[in-house]
Amino acid sequence: MDVGKQSPHRILVIEDEVKMAEALRAGLEAEGYTVTVARTGEEGFYLVSTQKYELMVLDWMLPGRDGIEILTRLRQRGVFLPVLLLTAKDATEDRVRGLDAGADDYLVKPFAFPEFLARVRALLRRGGTDVVDKLTLADLEMDVSSHNVTRSGTELVLTAREFELLEYLLRHQGRVVSREMLAREVWKESARYTPLDNVIDVHVARLRRKLDDGFDPKLLHTVRAVGFVLREEVS
Amino acid sequence: MRLRPRRVRTRLTLWYVGLLAGVLAVYLAGVSLLSVWQMDRVLKRLAMEDLETVKGLLYFRADGSLDLREDYHHHTAWKQAEERFLEVLDPGGRILFLNARLGMRTLGGPPFPGEGAGTYSDRSAELSDGTKVVLVSGTFELQGRPILIRIAYGEYLVWDRLWETLSILLMALPLALAATALASYKMAARALNPIEKMAQQAQRINSERLSEQLQVDNPEDELGHLATAFNDAFSRIEQSFEQLRRFTANASHELRTPLASIRSIGEVALQKDAGAEEYRETLGSVVEEVNHLAGLVDSLLMLSRADAGQIPMRPTVFPLMPLARETVSLLDVLIEDKKLTLTLAGDEDVCVRADRQHVRQAVVNVLHNAVKFTPDGGTISVRVDRQGTSCAQVSITDDGPGIPPEHAGHVFERFYRAGETQSEEKAAGLGLSIAQWAARANKGDIGLISPPGGGCTFWIRLPAAPCPSAV
Repeated sequence: MDVGKQSPHRILVIEDEVKMAEALRAGLEAEGYTVTVARTGEEGFYLVSTQKYELMVLDWMLPGRDGIEILTRLRQRGVFLPVLLLTAKDATEDRVRGLDAGADDYLVKPFAFPEFLARVRALLRRGGTDVVDKLTLADLEMDVSSHNVTRSGTELVLTAREFELLEYLLRHQGRVVSREMLAREVWKESARYTPLDNVIDVHVARLRRKLDDGFDPKLLHTVRAVGFVLREEVS
Repeated sequence: MRLRPRRVRTRLTLWYVGLLAGVLAVYLAGVSLLSVWQMDRVLKRLAMEDLETVKGLLYFRADGSLDLREDYHHHTAWKQAEERFLEVLDPGGRILFLNARLGMRTLGGPPFPGEGAGTYSDRSAELSDGTKVVLVSGTFELQGRPILIRIAYGEYLVWDRLWETLSILLMALPLALAATALASYKMAARALNPIEKMAQQAQRINSERLSEQLQVDNPEDELGHLATAFNDAFSRIEQSFEQLRRFTANASHELRTPLASIRSIGEVALQKDAGAEEYRETLGSVVEEVNHLAGLVDSLLMLSRADAGQIPMRPTVFPLMPLARETVSLLDVLIEDKKLTLTLAGDEDVCVRADRQHVRQAVVNVLHNAVKFTPDGGTISVRVDRQGTSCAQVSITDDGPGIPPEHAGHVFERFYRAGETQSEEKAAGLGLSIAQWAARANKGDIGLISPPGGGCTFWIRLPAAPCPSAV
């Protein structure tokens, strides 16, 4: 996608489970990244010591040396490429252990793929989040500081929540965002078991009515079972 | 299991025997003291009587020396006379007579002033060779001459008698103790026998036969209490087994349903050639079901961690009303969507001490549940108030169909469903369980009131705390 201008980011995925590894490779390559997959910790360790990568996606549970061990060794050797740790362990102390060992981010399996991609982008961007005040897509314009939203010059009246939702979608335009991401980033609900899906759906439906009714092209789309995406799409 | 009562039995026996030995020792010591004191008195009295006798038997011979008529003493009752020490002095302290038993020893030395005058002087004294004696003296006039008669008996007489008695008693003591040991060993066995029986019965009751109960012969006595306590414990265990069985059945049902869908959807799609759009649709359904499954597993993991006490509570003091308001505004789109009327009322100054995040979770879950089960156009009212001095309460009342009494007790159980046909709603199974855990983990509770006419009230009670003064 828009990473095409520079040379593509190189990502090393260390994951022993074949299906999971292939899904990660396919998903990342579809986003334009160059992906290498290692099946064991030793192989990954060798690759990362001999080649150059910008990001490592590391599974915790690996045969032989596990992810934490690899991570600790890497950090001891002074290798500081960003690491996204994947694991089925989601107790707080596991999270702390993972981050202490030197992981830059931590994602619990099973995760929503859009969320995974968002984390990857964030880690590759690391440090430089450009705070843009004016967000636009097609004829939609948002001025974050003055809380003003217009479509084809017509002002849209949004509630505070709808505004935040639209801002988040605009900042991630062209990318699918999951309900979990919205729950965490817009609603600030950290618990995964809070029943927010219905709430989010209703809010999105209302935002869509204000945003797309009577306008063309439609901008806010539902990706079934995955989430929502804001993009120009002629229906 | 068989060793333990044995040991109690031995311990009991040892206790009994020890106790008896102790009591006997104290008793014997008391008796000895008493008899020493008494025999000492008897000895003195005898000495006094003897003094009178001796007085009558003394006479001055023609040469002026004093003598004692011995012919009186063939009287056998007077064996004691053989133990007698006798000394006669004149008022100046000159020895007039010493009996043969005394030999070369003197009795008491020179007289002290007023010795024996008017009455008998009695005292403990020592012979010149150290023999301890009880000494009685008296002053008399014999054939016109004043004399001081001293009579003494050795204290060893008393001790000898005492040892005689004690040795008989001490000889009998081991016998008495052995008899007691035997008797108490048997008695302990008798007392402990019902307990052993109970243990055997309890052993037979396993997870398959938890409904069996121990026999209670007399509910009033200690054994009856024990049996009743056992029975209570068994029925509680039975209840949790029952709950676990239901949970396992319901959980597998809950997990199987999405799995079955995924399987069918996938298999159907694979059996035919379909267009991209149709495959997209299929995959969408699959991912939806998977998301549902993932949610269930997350909740289950969270609950199992909660059961294991691994979720730390971070209590703070906070007002309940803003929390209720927050919850309502979080869910208000759903409320609007179903055209429900929601009222929020209550005491602004009620604060609680609890982990706010978990309490919020509980209130969200209960309110979400109410929104889900209240028919379109219905009403929900949320109230915050104080309950007594130590409790604060959030109650959520709806005018839905209510919950029949046979289900009311189970709604907080994991995956409990009120009836098979009801509700195609997903994730109905765990929200209330999580709410219950959150309330209880914060030293509060949760409950349900469902009057027969329909509608129901869920309440969450939490420990109240004084509100922080500054806002």
